[in-house]
Amino acid sequence: MKHRTMPSLVLAAALALSACGGGNSGGSDSGAAAPTGEPQQGGELTVLEDTAFTGSWPTGLDPATNTTGGANLPMMQSIYGGLFLLRSDDDGSNGRVEPNQAESGELSADGLTFTVKLRDGIQFSDGTPLNADAVVFNWQRDLDSACTCKPTWPLAAENGITKVDDLTVKLTFSQPYAAVLASFPTSNVNWIASPAAVQQQGEDAFKIKPVGAGPFTVVDNQLSSKLTLQRNENYFEEGQPYLDRLTFQSIGGDQPAYQALQAGQAQAYEGLTTTPLLDQAQRNDQLQVTVQAATSPYVIQLNTKSGPFTDPRAREAIYRATDFEAINKGVFGGRYEVSQSFVAPGGKFYPLEVTDYPEYDLDRAKQLVQELGGLTVTLGTISNYVATQINTALQTQWQEAGIDVTIQDYQLSNLVQQFNSGQWQAMLQTAGAWDPASGVGVAFRFSSASPFSGVADPQLDQLLAQAAGTVDEGQRKQLYQQAADLIAADFYAPFGLAFAPANLAVQGVHGPGLTTVIPAALVNTQVIWDEVWREQ
Amino acid sequence: MTTAALPQVPGTRDPRVSRTSRVTRFAGSPVLRLVVKRLLMAIPIMLGVTVLTFWVLSLIPGNAAQQLLGPEATPEQVAQLEEQLGLNRPGYVRYGEWLRGAVTGDLGRSIVSNQPVSDLLGERLPVTGELVLLAFVVSLVLAVPVALLAAHRPGGVWDRISMVVSTAGLSVANYVLALILVLVFAVQLGVLPAIGFTPLSEGLWPNVRSLILPSAAIGLPLFCFYARFLRGDLVDQMQQEEYVTTARAKGVGSWQVLIRHAFRNSSFGLITVVGLNLGALIGGTVIIEQIFALPGIGQMLLQAINTRDFIMVQAVVVVFALVAVVANLVVDLLYAVLDPRIRYGSR
Repeated sequence: MKHRTMPSLVLAAALALSACGGGNSGGSDSGAAAPTGEPQQGGELTVLEDTAFTGSWPTGLDPATNTTGGANLPMMQSIYGGLFLLRSDDDGSNGRVEPNQAESGELSADGLTFTVKLRDGIQFSDGTPLNADAVVFNWQRDLDSACTCKPTWPLAAENGITKVDDLTVKLTFSQPYAAVLASFPTSNVNWIASPAAVQQQGEDAFKIKPVGAGPFTVVDNQLSSKLTLQRNENYFEEGQPYLDRLTFQSIGGDQPAYQALQAGQAQAYEGLTTTPLLDQAQRNDQLQVTVQAATSPYVIQLNTKSGPFTDPRAREAIYRATDFEAINKGVFGGRYEVSQSFVAPGGKFYPLEVTDYPEYDLDRAKQLVQELGGLTVTLGTISNYVATQINTALQTQWQEAGIDVTIQDYQLSNLVQQFNSGQWQAMLQTAGAWDPASGVGVAFRFSSASPFSGVADPQLDQLLAQAAGTVDEGQRKQLYQQAADLIAADFYAPFGLAFAPANLAVQGVHGPGLTTVIPAALVNTQVIWDEVWREQ
Repeated sequence: MTTAALPQVPGTRDPRVSRTSRVTRFAGSPVLRLVVKRLLMAIPIMLGVTVLTFWVLSLIPGNAAQQLLGPEATPEQVAQLEEQLGLNRPGYVRYGEWLRGAVTGDLGRSIVSNQPVSDLLGERLPVTGELVLLAFVVSLVLAVPVALLAAHRPGGVWDRISMVVSTAGLSVANYVLALILVLVFAVQLGVLPAIGFTPLSEGLWPNVRSLILPSAAIGLPLFCFYARFLRGDLVDQMQQEEYVTTARAKGVGSWQVLIRHAFRNSSFGLITVVGLNLGALIGGTVIIEQIFALPGIGQMLLQAINTRDFIMVQAVVVVFALVAVVANLVVDLLYAVLDPRIRYGSR
């Protein structure tokens, strides 16, 4: 789910001004503009990040204590680099997790052990070695973290993490865990901090001026405001990073960010979601717009445990009354794809061909509502631009089928309260991840054990657990296929728009994930900052 | 010994007055009594404000743990972080702990980042201070001449123009004005920066330049309000007061009557309004710092509220409340400067 609560005032202002953004018409477009020419050394780059999500790092940048680490990918990748990175072809296809500071990561055939071999000779920017001891030290700290970005490894009770030799660390699981590699790129275990620096500085100072072995080192860090970085001269990849200086500047929303880019105060912005601004940006030939590859489609969760949706007919009525294609066309200019399951175009296993997906059928919906003697629904969502737009459209569609709909958008805490109370009826959320078993994954919305699920079906639980534990990718896909079929057959939750935010960059800036497409492992795309460069 | 009748050359000390008696006289002065009384009154005000802030924050659903972990967090993860942050203790215990520290000058550490609050305030307060000061200057430096010009000939061309401008300015919210200013001066004309703050250490002009648009966004709506207010008061003085008629009868020119007589009287009202508006001025920094990406305490307050970091919120609220108390005190003292008839404490 995208946790983006843009301040409503700024949003209102953004809408008021969206017509006068000064975009140049007739310009070129979006999509995957591949880097052109040979990368050039040098230059500075200021990147804007929305305070409501990526641009907020209130607990600092120590992987073990940064509770918003999953949102702060740009800062963490620049400072720590990462053992593994999610890469893809420039158009976002062929996504794969590749070793970076690691030399390899091997899952045993039984899925019970995962061995990480490190590259020889990597040093942290303080000159100490990034070796197996450093990795073990970090992982043990990370597992104590409260961050949702800590790994969900099913570690064996004894010797879960062991050092094999100076450059090798082994994880041992109590049950097969196939998504281990896929879960690295957005997890805090991917970012290795210098143990010497942690011990010398103490945790409180380290979170402000962290030391890693990534492409950049910290010059100045004003929490949730501005992070200034400079080139790590000690970086293991020769010739990289290309930039001399990289600054992340937090900013209060899409509209100020768009204006700051136009005014030349910054050269890139990550995570644009306001559709009218996206249209404007695509017409502006000063800007490159890269709409990222979606990996977690929207889903209308139905609470099958209480209320009207205990009755399958009511659930089917919702499926039949919902036309996401029309919403995509009418509200979002047909920009996104519509999914029938928890996988999206940027993710692994896409597409899952769902057999007999209950398609939009207004007559059938009306008939079902009549059979039920009427249907009254409260449809909720988190308070953000895209989600509330979709809910308003859904309300209109459902009312056509005779369903009485109240829509409600919640701030984060109220949303959580709704789920905890168990009294909610329908919720528009997002489900899934690049690998459906990594991070919170699809089980977060569909497993009986999750407090954020509307479904309690042992058969579905078993399928999802089996899929997460199966090493063979072909077999995994089949299991997910069965899970998607089951969700559709029992009318558990209609899936919809596979939305993804866009990255903006001024002309002359290039870099993987910034001006090319890389699927989002969880919510946001991981730009590979080592390889970002500027035409001089 | 009384010294009241002794003649004295301005700017020199009377050698016949002993040091002790000067101190006694100063200690007994009505101005000092006013200052002490106001500062003592500030204590219950501060207590009230902090209790209220703490209570309001506790009414908003969710706590720091939940806000930080986001929507994907399980209840177990939230509980783990609550334990780490000490949020599982009763509210009165946490408030009591904060208050004990605060009265000894220790504002504590942010519950979210564990950084000392005083350090963070020290970093950010100068930014907001400068922004408020500039906004204040923008609003008053423009309001006074415009009001004088408008009041000189009520219903005349300048009055009408100022009326249109002020009404338009009053109808636009400062955050909308901010975006328009950026669009014109940063995007289209490219003469001023759209975001960011340049510290004074990098030069006076770059520093002031980085704050022109934000201070204009806060200051211009206030200018419109002050200009309308002052113009109205000036016109009343000019049309209804006898001293104006007397001055005119003595042949004093209309500009002179306006500036030297009417404006002096009208400035009382203006000062009162400016003092009362200081809250709006400071409040304006919260959203404006957000839009212009300024690292001030307004931005810090918003972040602290979003993460339910009550220690940080309390610190900022204490600063805001102190500023309001001191500003009101300064306004009262200014009355005495402007009107020699007012002597605090005298009958």
